[in-house]
Amino acid sequence: MRRRAGESILIGDDIEIQIMHIGESRIKIGISAPRAVPVSLKEVRLVESENRAAAQLRSADALRGLVERLADGNGSVRK
Amino acid sequence: MATTQTQTLMRCESRYFGTLEYHADSIMEFPDGIPAFEHERRFLAVRQPINAPLVFLQSLADPNLCFATLPVQHACPGFRLHMTPEDRAALGFSGPRQPLIGRDVLCLAILSFEEHAPPTANLLAPLVVNLRTQQGRQAIQVDSRHSHREALPLREAACS
Repeated sequence: MRRRAGESILIGDDIEIQIMHIGESRIKIGISAPRAVPVSLKEVRLVESENRAAAQLRSADALRGLVERLADGNGSVRK
Repeated sequence: MATTQTQTLMRCESRYFGTLEYHADSIMEFPDGIPAFEHERRFLAVRQPINAPLVFLQSLADPNLCFATLPVQHACPGFRLHMTPEDRAALGFSGPRQPLIGRDVLCLAILSFEEHAPPTANLLAPLVVNLRTQQGRQAIQVDSRHSHREALPLREAACS
């Protein structure tokens, strides 16, 4: 599927994706969709699930080992 | 520079640290929360000498919620911010330049610990906190050179 600035893509009957502007390395798109359809960047979903995983902070033992290895391998960076 | 003033000592409960005592200036505020935790607005930065350079972010609302984070310069020396203009504006940086880590902002990578796997750092979306206002947000980087599960520079593999 190839589109120019100003042209659109339809998904089903009520979702429209319009190419608004094509820049050097980024494009601006407009999306119209029913309120019930969540629209988000894929990265936001990745970050959501990663945050949920990170919230399962476990025992201090895992941290202890990590800190030691960080301190050893990265001593010059520490302030 | 802030003038010295007497501050009220406050307390909060935490699952990992028990009762924590803190001053108001240790609070970081995330007005929009962070993805998947949008209702969590206030975190306490917990720094313990024994766990340095880790910084724990303890939720002030939920004693069970605590993130282990690492200043990005430890997770990846030389890391530079690539925030969207929207994220920069929300943090109070309206100019065209990226804020400087250490001077303008504190930048922390959230760590993940999966069983039987080395810990990873989320460098795709670090927490960026304005050092002047103590307000922060999790800013998805636009250069995408970094992943949400980046290996840490541990002894075996130094990241230079």
